[in-house]
Amino acid sequence: MRLVSLLLIAVVAVALLGPLAIEWRYDSIDWSAVHAPPLTGTHLFGTDAVGRDLLARTLVGTRVTLGVAAAAAMVALVVGVAWGATAGWCGGKIDEAMMRVVDALYALPFMFVVILLMVVFGRSILLVFLGIGMVEWLTMARVVRGQMLSLRQRPFVIAAEAAGAGPVRIVLTHMLPNIAGVAIAYLLLTLPQVVMIESFLSFLGLGVQEPMTSLGILLKDGADDMDIAPHALLLPGVILMVILLCLTRAGELLRDRYTA
Amino acid sequence: MLHLIRSRLFAAIPTLAAVILLSFVLMRIAPGGPFDGERPLDPQTRAALTSAYGLDRPLVEQIGRYLWRLLHGDFGPSLVYRDFTVSDLIARGLPVSLTLGALALLLALLLGLAAGLSAAARAGRPVDHALMMVATLLTALPTFVVGPLLALVFGLWAGWLPISGLGDGDAAHLILPVIALALPSAGAIAKLARAGLADVLGQDHVLMARARGLPSYRILIVHALRPALVPVASYLGPAAAGLLTGAVVVETVFALPGLGRYFVQGALNRDYPLVLGVVLIYASLIILFNLLADLAYGWLDPRARD
Repeated sequence: MRLVSLLLIAVVAVALLGPLAIEWRYDSIDWSAVHAPPLTGTHLFGTDAVGRDLLARTLVGTRVTLGVAAAAAMVALVVGVAWGATAGWCGGKIDEAMMRVVDALYALPFMFVVILLMVVFGRSILLVFLGIGMVEWLTMARVVRGQMLSLRQRPFVIAAEAAGAGPVRIVLTHMLPNIAGVAIAYLLLTLPQVVMIESFLSFLGLGVQEPMTSLGILLKDGADDMDIAPHALLLPGVILMVILLCLTRAGELLRDRYTA
Repeated sequence: MLHLIRSRLFAAIPTLAAVILLSFVLMRIAPGGPFDGERPLDPQTRAALTSAYGLDRPLVEQIGRYLWRLLHGDFGPSLVYRDFTVSDLIARGLPVSLTLGALALLLALLLGLAAGLSAAARAGRPVDHALMMVATLLTALPTFVVGPLLALVFGLWAGWLPISGLGDGDAAHLILPVIALALPSAGAIAKLARAGLADVLGQDHVLMARARGLPSYRILIVHALRPALVPVASYLGPAAAGLLTGAVVVETVFALPGLGRYFVQGALNRDYPLVLGVVLIYASLIILFNLLADLAYGWLDPRARD
């Protein structure tokens, strides 16, 4: 757990602070060094096909990927917790109807519906993370609802009800704090999913748009040029792997702690 | 069993209807009409085109016609690939994608089950830890990292295998794409199989079998394997969805003329009819696969058969 969190903090810190330490911007073009190999002048990792510094692009790309992931995961968290808590608290017919909606949405091929949305409304980062958030709140809603159902029967909730507390107060101050652990664990498990969806969309050219960059775009560029510049593929690939592995592991550890 | 199939098929109807309705509505509210070209059309031509395509009819009638055409396998013309209908493109791409997907699923099951079961049989030993670490690594590695890496190492550096297109259709062209597509699912299946078997091996009927002095391979195959596969079966539905999205990437990376390529091209060029048609095909495939997964589930676990 310690190793995983240290690695994660390191990646986030480098992505946030790194771009400040390099003299090149992610979109500034160095015409004297197109397709430069690593360690050319001040280009530590070389440049891409139009002479943009690869290290700067990778750092900014990591930042964008993490940012989109965090924003989309927050959408998923808020919508999922609100939906699940309402269903779990109300119970009965309302619960059944709300969970039916979740079941129906689960069955949709969501990746493709998100792409469909992009095609129709044009491609923008906002839509990317709204779309991803829409997909990912479902699991959160299910988990939170299950927790709410079991908490409802617990003595402290019944006591609060007997003491005359209103439903909003009970849910917000008595029940949600007890769900926080599980919710955070599933939030962490949502993050790698979101990172993957964002990179997938960007890789296909349907997510983040040039000259802005993200790990998915860098992987695509790297894959296009891998015959002459394999390092352009390896660097973003390794970073993405580290992010995904750490987030998955951290989420699994937390989940096991809170659901055991 | 028949009852299960029937109820599942009925349950699939609202999902498909939702996808169709959603696609239809999205198409209508999309900015830009089908006749907005670079030069504005004169009003008469526009009116003639609008009535020729039935766009001046009431919305309900339009939905009805759309459904009627869908029922006849007519997805409309492609806006980007002129001279082709969407049905033509699907007919070309689907066989490639299905071959790719089926082979990948097979490989994923073989690799995943072999790894998962041998890990569970040696639970707690170094082999178990090593296999599970590899499995975790594989599930965390998306296709768009694995695909280019495989192409780089085995295609460009080693030069063993072709990495682009289908060639004359010889099998070598499919090896790397199938592996790239199969690895993430193989990792997930390995984890599930290991968890399932480890769970079953701790149960009473296995202890009983062991107490009767049965050899361990017999316990494993006759008594433990079937219940251990239940979690794997329930993963088949999500696996199908994963393979379909993965296939989109793999077809792009390895330049295979499959459904995913047309889908991405259609999406990049805002070719609505093509994207809609492919989404509908994908949705149907996923529903079909969930049905198969349910059947496998019922076969493996008689308690789930009602």
